[in-house]
Amino acid sequence: MSDFFQFLISGIAVGSIYALAALGFVLIYKSSRVINFAHGQLIAIGAFVAYALVAWLKLPIALALLTAVLATGLLGFVVERVFLKRLVGQPIISVIMVTIGLASVLDGLMYLTPFGSGNFSYPAFLPQEPLRLAGITVSYPQLLAVGFTALFLLLFGWFFQRSTLGISMRAVADDQMAAMSVGVSVEKVFALAWAVAGVTAASAGMVVGTVSGLNQDSLIAIGLAVFPAVILGGLDSIPGAVVGGITIGVLQNLAAGYLNRFVPGGGTELVIPFVVLLVVLWFKPHGLFGTEEIERV
Amino acid sequence: MRNPWAQTGNYRTSYEQDTTIFATYREIVSVGVLLVALVLLPQFLERSQVLTLNFILIYAIAVLGLNITTGYAGLISVGQAAFMGVGAYTVALAAPYLPFYLTIPLGAAVAAVFGAIVGIPSLRVKHLYLALATLAFQEIFVWSVGRMPALAQGASIPVEMRNFLGYEIGFRNHNHFWYYVILFTLVLMVIAWRNLLRGKYGRALVAVRDNDRAADAMGMDPGRTKLMAFALGALYAGVAGGLLAYFQRSVVIEEFTLAKSVGFLAMAIVGGLGTVVGSLLGPAFIEYLRLLMERFSEWIKGNQVIQQVIPPGVDVASALLPLSFGLVIVLFLMFEPRGLYNWWRLVRSYFRTWPFKY
Repeated sequence: MSDFFQFLISGIAVGSIYALAALGFVLIYKSSRVINFAHGQLIAIGAFVAYALVAWLKLPIALALLTAVLATGLLGFVVERVFLKRLVGQPIISVIMVTIGLASVLDGLMYLTPFGSGNFSYPAFLPQEPLRLAGITVSYPQLLAVGFTALFLLLFGWFFQRSTLGISMRAVADDQMAAMSVGVSVEKVFALAWAVAGVTAASAGMVVGTVSGLNQDSLIAIGLAVFPAVILGGLDSIPGAVVGGITIGVLQNLAAGYLNRFVPGGGTELVIPFVVLLVVLWFKPHGLFGTEEIERV
Repeated sequence: MRNPWAQTGNYRTSYEQDTTIFATYREIVSVGVLLVALVLLPQFLERSQVLTLNFILIYAIAVLGLNITTGYAGLISVGQAAFMGVGAYTVALAAPYLPFYLTIPLGAAVAAVFGAIVGIPSLRVKHLYLALATLAFQEIFVWSVGRMPALAQGASIPVEMRNFLGYEIGFRNHNHFWYYVILFTLVLMVIAWRNLLRGKYGRALVAVRDNDRAADAMGMDPGRTKLMAFALGALYAGVAGGLLAYFQRSVVIEEFTLAKSVGFLAMAIVGGLGTVVGSLLGPAFIEYLRLLMERFSEWIKGNQVIQQVIPPGVDVASALLPLSFGLVIVLFLMFEPRGLYNWWRLVRSYFRTWPFKY
């Protein structure tokens, strides 16, 4: 039984990372109906920028993290301005393919830095000794992951309920035409959504970096794990992103703990998210909290 | 239309003329010339060049299929390589017992069934959700093959065919023999594609893509039409996968990954969505781009001067491929969303209306 709780707790920690990544993803989709296949690259870039600042420029860790978060936010903003802005009104396939192309370009650019291959890790700034509580161990980076997600959720909650920008973003998500006609700048909202997505992506990347080290391939893979999380939670729901992310993380850990011994070669945690994705699409395609679209001819 | 051979422009006066495949005699002639050229081409090429050509033609078949699912029906599929893999593995398992003209249709049929299953969400949702269903299938496929003892756990399975109706296929003539088989299949698939999509079913696909509620109101069944689109797209992929298995003499999972699927989408877009010409130009363009980049990175690796400028740890060679590939996709979508097909169309209409400019 304590095994089960151990899996559950580490699952929640991993799931928090997915939830963070999924937040940015949902934000972009909610405001501009763009599915971002380059989200994994944003995550990786955020993590590596933070590493470069800490390891090469020897910035204090908090300052480095903040700079990296802002830099990735800026990157998201630039991506929207340069590429996505021209594609407003184009068919969905063009938009999706542009983000896929962008993902490839960003991959190529990362190979041009020393981070393309090999493993890196942040200098340790958290206690190495894990916390032990009633037979369950939790490491400090895992706690950090959960804390970060909670912090961002609170920030987002405040941002969308209280700030003018947040309210206008909600308005655009709800009805673009109506928002435009009451004077909300839809363009500004799209760009802002990308910037905030960059911020959350970078945070997710840095949390992964502290939990399990930095490696381009595994950082980018998180961008793929985001899809099951957002589909399970509902593509356009922010609470859904969190619930979906954490559920996927927990399921992965439970699968690794209980199913791997039945499968030759193991690795069920790699495929479980996609099985969930397919099953959700078959039986409850709009996810747990997603809105079902009502269409008229 | 006094002299149909010297026709410049559109002189069609009846529905019968409008529904012909070829608008002018020149088009028939040019397609004939193209076919003859394709048949004769390998005689002038080296074995390695025929190899490249074979890959391009196989990919062209897969892209034709993708052009049904994505180009015509507007359902984005990021799983075309997995459907290709289903065809290839079916062929690999059946090859010891059946001749290749039976195994390839079998592979195609199995792939089509998988296509329909993956397409089930299309009964209720649209767009992105469907793209993600194919993505999930793609990942599940690669993972499962890597763990199935019956499929050699993703390691290569040999597919042998030593003679065909008494004709020995050895090391020397392997590429040439399969070139003709692939070309023949491609021509068949193109004819089927054209006839399928200009008929009732093709219209239904376009109607469902443009507005599926309206199509529903006009008496089409959008769900069934979309399932058919998935199944047909996967069927083409299955044929391509089967051919690939025989041509490579083996099946390995690396051929059927997500990256390949994305590559097919890129080929379809660069060529021009929903067109036959694009389905040929796209694969050729992307494959030659890849070859070019490989040459270029070889050259960089060999060049001492450049090697000294590059800081250690920087991997220019492996950066080139994703960088060029991504740039091509992004640039085409931003500046020529209709793809290479549009350039071909402009050239063609120039000649058709010559000496006039419109």
